[in-house]
Amino acid sequence: MKRLNFFGILLIMVLCFVSCRKEPLDSFVNPNKFTCKTYLQQFEMVWQGMDQGYVFWDRDTVDWDARYDEYRPIFAAFDARPANNPVTINEYWNAYNGLFEGLLDHHLTGRFYAPKGLPRGQCEAWVSPGTNNYQHETNSTWERSKQLAILQKKAIPGTYFGYNPDDDYNIPGTYTCLIPGQNEGEMIAYFRFTNFYMLQMYTNYMIYGNQIPGYVTAQEPAKKFFGPRYFEGMTSEASYANNDSVIGIIFDLRGNGGGSVADLEPIIGSLTQSPTVVGYTRVKEGFGRLDYSAWSESVVGCPNQHLKTAKPIVVLADITSVSCAEIATMLIKSLPNGVFIGERTYGAIGGLYSGGSTNIYHDLFYNGCFGDYDYFKDGPDPYAGIFSYYIYTSTFHMVDKDFNDVEGIGVQPDIEVRYNSRRLDEGIDNQLDRAIRYIKTGR
Amino acid sequence: MQGIMCMLLLAAPTCLVAQTSEPVQTPPRTRHWNIGLTAGIDRNYHIVDMVYMTDMKFDKYRVGPVYGLHIGYAPLSWLSFNIGAVMIQKNYHMDHVFQYHSTRYSLPTTTTNDYINVPVEMKLSVGRTVKVHAFGGVYGGYWLRSHRKGVTYSFSNDRECHFDEDIEFSDKRDNRIDKGFTWGAGISGKIINCIELGVEVRWYYGIEDIQKPYMRNLNPRYNTTFAIQAGLNYWL
Repeated sequence: MKRLNFFGILLIMVLCFVSCRKEPLDSFVNPNKFTCKTYLQQFEMVWQGMDQGYVFWDRDTVDWDARYDEYRPIFAAFDARPANNPVTINEYWNAYNGLFEGLLDHHLTGRFYAPKGLPRGQCEAWVSPGTNNYQHETNSTWERSKQLAILQKKAIPGTYFGYNPDDDYNIPGTYTCLIPGQNEGEMIAYFRFTNFYMLQMYTNYMIYGNQIPGYVTAQEPAKKFFGPRYFEGMTSEASYANNDSVIGIIFDLRGNGGGSVADLEPIIGSLTQSPTVVGYTRVKEGFGRLDYSAWSESVVGCPNQHLKTAKPIVVLADITSVSCAEIATMLIKSLPNGVFIGERTYGAIGGLYSGGSTNIYHDLFYNGCFGDYDYFKDGPDPYAGIFSYYIYTSTFHMVDKDFNDVEGIGVQPDIEVRYNSRRLDEGIDNQLDRAIRYIKTGR
Repeated sequence: MQGIMCMLLLAAPTCLVAQTSEPVQTPPRTRHWNIGLTAGIDRNYHIVDMVYMTDMKFDKYRVGPVYGLHIGYAPLSWLSFNIGAVMIQKNYHMDHVFQYHSTRYSLPTTTTNDYINVPVEMKLSVGRTVKVHAFGGVYGGYWLRSHRKGVTYSFSNDRECHFDEDIEFSDKRDNRIDKGFTWGAGISGKIINCIELGVEVRWYYGIEDIQKPYMRNLNPRYNTTFAIQAGLNYWL
């Protein structure tokens, strides 16, 4: 009987054990797929999407749980407002701006749409917490026009070629020339890109050709530049860069807003003599803020046509060099013959995948951008009554080859030469001058 | 640990010699204390609900070794109390399978986790020469080491990348304290008066989330481990 009692007690214990575990949260839903009908639902989905899919939680100092406690009542109060006292766009923007304030991701942008009580055009809030926290205001277009005017005066006559960017089609502005070197007959090759969509433009052109009229005029400059001026011009035997008279290269990424990493190998990789590890990347792997995948090497390959000998290469970059331009800067800086002159870069290194009709990348990796990409692309419809959102945030966390974080910090120059607006107005590009001096003297 | 095992193995023949030298008529003395060694294999079930992250599957199990020692006290022939120290692996496997463009990717990760568990249990036995046991109790433990091996995806290079690395514990995330319940059943028989051989099956049911409560929406993760062990008891 005693033994029977023992087994009975054991059975009861086993049944009790099962209840000792916490239940999974039933509030977990896919933030990439949810349709919100209230301010509070929208807030909950945005908060949760960031909670689960933001890749910088191990470094970010924002207390995301405290933000939940602080802002949830605000959005709940928005829902409780009577029709004659609607939420204003300023209140709406302030709430989301406060929620996102101080987050580290410098790619991060949130778009929010509230159809309740606000007319079309006044119901969308756009926040971007990453700040240009450096010592001067920037205007890439204005700076570039000044810098290029100065460059043309320095160029050996007949060697300057330039195509201005076409923002409608994301076509890069591309510029190249030869600058006199230290001694008679010596030259310095100069290249500049305003973004990294060269390969994409070139590939699209080769695939579609004249079939897409809108693209043709815009892609033609990219094709021309990417062909004779860079892809062949730089790396072939008769190129600028492989010419024995060229004693060094200046690669100007000031004002380069980034683009596709697919450009890195054909463009930056062609400056190297072998594949180069530029850094490491990782993604989130689960619901926990600190659930990360292993680091994986980020290697920039070396194309068949590349610089044959390791000449001095100066990369010029500044606070307006963003994303892929920063990775390119990191790569050139890491080369034994590379040096970075200028200012620290912007600090938006984490790469991302965005867009697509289903925002497919979020549902492959469960991190990065989420929300209604198409909804905003086509323009929100206030009569649909959907509290829509789209969060543009890094898909992967990237560090440099020594595992140093650069997000929000930027790549630091080897030789710091600060932007000087007054000198530009006087016709002097002090950063370019320092680069030329370095190539000529090695110092 | 190896030293203790060697000592016990060396002690067994000594016991045999001591036993044969005793007078035949002497009534067997009652032995209350025993010390034993066990070794076997375990299979861990990593309990985590992936909700909408359906491409990440934890449905393949990984076996690991388990070995340890224990001390028992038997006040009655059918009742004993045991305490032990067990090295056990609570491993799991995650496979992230997805279709990207036209390529189907499988990114498996096998995580090997070394724990030391200290079970304290009560054992009920029936039988004379061959005994059948049922036991139950609690255990405490500590997460000693974590290692992972597998394949991840390099976004910047659009290719798979292999890794094989120790995981550095995070003070913020990883709950290295383990506790739970243990129960099971076994069978044993004395081969001589002081040496007993046995086999047992055992469950370790963890009630401690392997993560600290470091975030509001924490998705709990638990280990449940099934072990088959063979052991040797030396009755003092």
